Amino acid sequence: MAGEYKYQESLDWQPEDLFEKYTFKEMLTSSDARILGIKGMLLALIMLGVGGIMALTMRLELMEPGIQFIGPKPYINAVTIHGLIMVLAYAVPFATSSLYFILPRTLGIRNIQNAWAAHLSFVALLISAALLFISRPDFTWAFYAPLSLRVATDMIWMAYVSIILVGISEFLGGIPLISTAFAWKRESGKRWMEMPLAGWGALTGGLFLTISAPMLSIVGVIMLTDFLQITAIYDPARGGDALTFLFMSWFYGHPAVYLPLIPLIAVLYHMLPKMLGRNLWSHTSGIVAFTALFFLGFGVWVHHFQPNFTVHSWLNFFYQFTTMLIIIPSSLHVFNWVASMWQGRISEETRRAIPFKFIAGAIFMIIVGGVNGFLNGLISVDTDFIHNTYWLPAHFHAMFLGFIGMMSMAVFYFLFPYITGRMFSYRLANLHFWIWMPGIFVQVMMMFWLGMTYHPRWVVDYLPLPEWVSGQFWLSIAGFANGFGFLIFLINVLVSVRSGEPVSRDPWVMPDTTPASKDSAPVTNAAE
Amino acid sequence: MQNALGLLDDQNILFAVMLGLGLLGIGTMFFAMFTPRRWHIPYSVEIVFAGIIFTIVMGGAYYSQKTVSQYWADIPKMEEEASNKKITIDYKSDSFDTAVSAYLYQWGFIFINPDGSASRNALSVKPGARVLVHVLANDVIHGFQIPAVHITTEVDPKSVRSIWFRAPDKPGKYLIQCMDYCGIGHHQMKAWLVVTDNVVPKIENGGLG
Repeated sequence: MAGEYKYQESLDWQPEDLFEKYTFKEMLTSSDARILGIKGMLLALIMLGVGGIMALTMRLELMEPGIQFIGPKPYINAVTIHGLIMVLAYAVPFATSSLYFILPRTLGIRNIQNAWAAHLSFVALLISAALLFISRPDFTWAFYAPLSLRVATDMIWMAYVSIILVGISEFLGGIPLISTAFAWKRESGKRWMEMPLAGWGALTGGLFLTISAPMLSIVGVIMLTDFLQITAIYDPARGGDALTFLFMSWFYGHPAVYLPLIPLIAVLYHMLPKMLGRNLWSHTSGIVAFTALFFLGFGVWVHHFQPNFTVHSWLNFFYQFTTMLIIIPSSLHVFNWVASMWQGRISEETRRAIPFKFIAGAIFMIIVGGVNGFLNGLISVDTDFIHNTYWLPAHFHAMFLGFIGMMSMAVFYFLFPYITGRMFSYRLANLHFWIWMPGIFVQVMMMFWLGMTYHPRWVVDYLPLPEWVSGQFWLSIAGFANGFGFLIFLINVLVSVRSGEPVSRDPWVMPDTTPASKDSAPVTNAAE
Repeated sequence: MQNALGLLDDQNILFAVMLGLGLLGIGTMFFAMFTPRRWHIPYSVEIVFAGIIFTIVMGGAYYSQKTVSQYWADIPKMEEEASNKKITIDYKSDSFDTAVSAYLYQWGFIFINPDGSASRNALSVKPGARVLVHVLANDVIHGFQIPAVHITTEVDPKSVRSIWFRAPDKPGKYLIQCMDYCGIGHHQMKAWLVVTDNVVPKIENGGLG
């Protein structure tokens, strides 16, 4: 097929100790895409640890019915910080940073464009996270308006500023992705259809960031002015309307779930052919899926508060229709990955490789989390047991923890030799995978179970119904197991970065052992 | 137990479809990873696959739209009935229909019965009765869920949600809970749907305080 992208082994992918090459000061100021990527990923991993501690605090409290360790107020602080940190300070920055890292060399251009925006994005995120921790908000990470304006403490204005800043940070973070994709077009002079899928992910992911994130900042500004009694847009008691808040905040909030997803899918499209040692199943199918996901992704946000009785019923059904449609591009991505694995033999080296295991786990979890989108989107089922029961956290934990968590680990293990010039401990990484895979699966399944038994969200205490007690217990056990897995990851990274086995050649060059036949396209591993 | 939407059985079919899709996806992935048979899938398979997914999800959407439209269409009818019949509390009557207002405030429920009496955190209905509820949130966004009759709604301040359900046939106490975080007392925001045959439940008269 014309324009088919050929997987090529770039000469630049050599193990390198970047921590030796750059001084600490250079690391802070360098515009090298790899340095920007490492900084973003390390900050994100620290945030993952912080968010994880919050999660384990909650799990400890929820392990048994009744209030044992922390009261409702600190509990909801933990919920709020866990949610905001995990989505806005771990998932999104990790995904964009890892794409910064791989993008220039995948597209064959020198560096990401507009690196200044990535610098500013990083600084804005740091300030935003600091403000969030100082203000200790207790309005949940969805910060629904009349409540989030009323539970205020003296410091709560900092949380609104933090929301404004994180919107700015994400907007800026998207600029390098878009401009790098355009730089590829300018420099290579090829047609758009020939752009590598990582570039397509950067383009659509960057557009997602730059179009949706300003709305988050606007919501933050309105919340600040409402809080200062300058305006009364969201506060019904003073003539505002909570519905305005819902429409505005979810206009950001739905695309927000694609902000970490799309860049990591793009990275997956880069990693999978490299791990398999051969071309993807289809380049065109990936482009179709990215484009369709982009256009549909902006047309579904009303399903977060469906059914909405104040809008006309056909509008509710319109959003139900678009929500159902979005299953198609998502499943085309998965189809492409599975077909790529199926079309040739998977060598023993690939099977044993840690990044491949995490990729397989991520695909497994995106299927688990994706198919129940079929039920979530249907208003008739949504108004029964889905809306704001544990079913909903189950869905997005399957996606965020299952897909994005597993994928980010795949990316980090994959990039580790290129960052440090050393190899991580295989045994510890393997242990990490075999703790996380069942751990995340059990955790998600227990959440689904609690959702089906109508366990409400956002509660510090629950009725001692037998199905709720056992569900919460095993959920907590699985949560602690995942925390233990992260600890192993941490130890592995900290030890291997100093005393790991040095690697001299690209460790992820995998042999393609598929016997040649007339059906399979020739594999071009050499640079064109 | 009769579902308000009448879809307990249909829901099982949707559930089975979802499980089937999931198992198909996961099964195919493992098969693709471990089978010695290799297959370069032609594009036609993907087109057929997308067509099947499209059919399934559109079938689900059509089904949901039909059920929900029916459910919503019944609300104005019931509103009319409620205003015409001048419903009085008569627990001995066989054909008992009632229209109740539910006020949701931090962190409790007040139910106003048609005769103006108010009961706090308990809604008393006869077994099998068709109950129309006007749900109002007083301060912040609340949720209103009765698991036993499979009904959830989210309610914003200033707007009224009308929902109806058919009460369970078996007398007893059924949970009503708030589904949206509404402050630190959210976990305590519970009420009971009291399904009772002929005993007039204790009703607290008084204001909304």
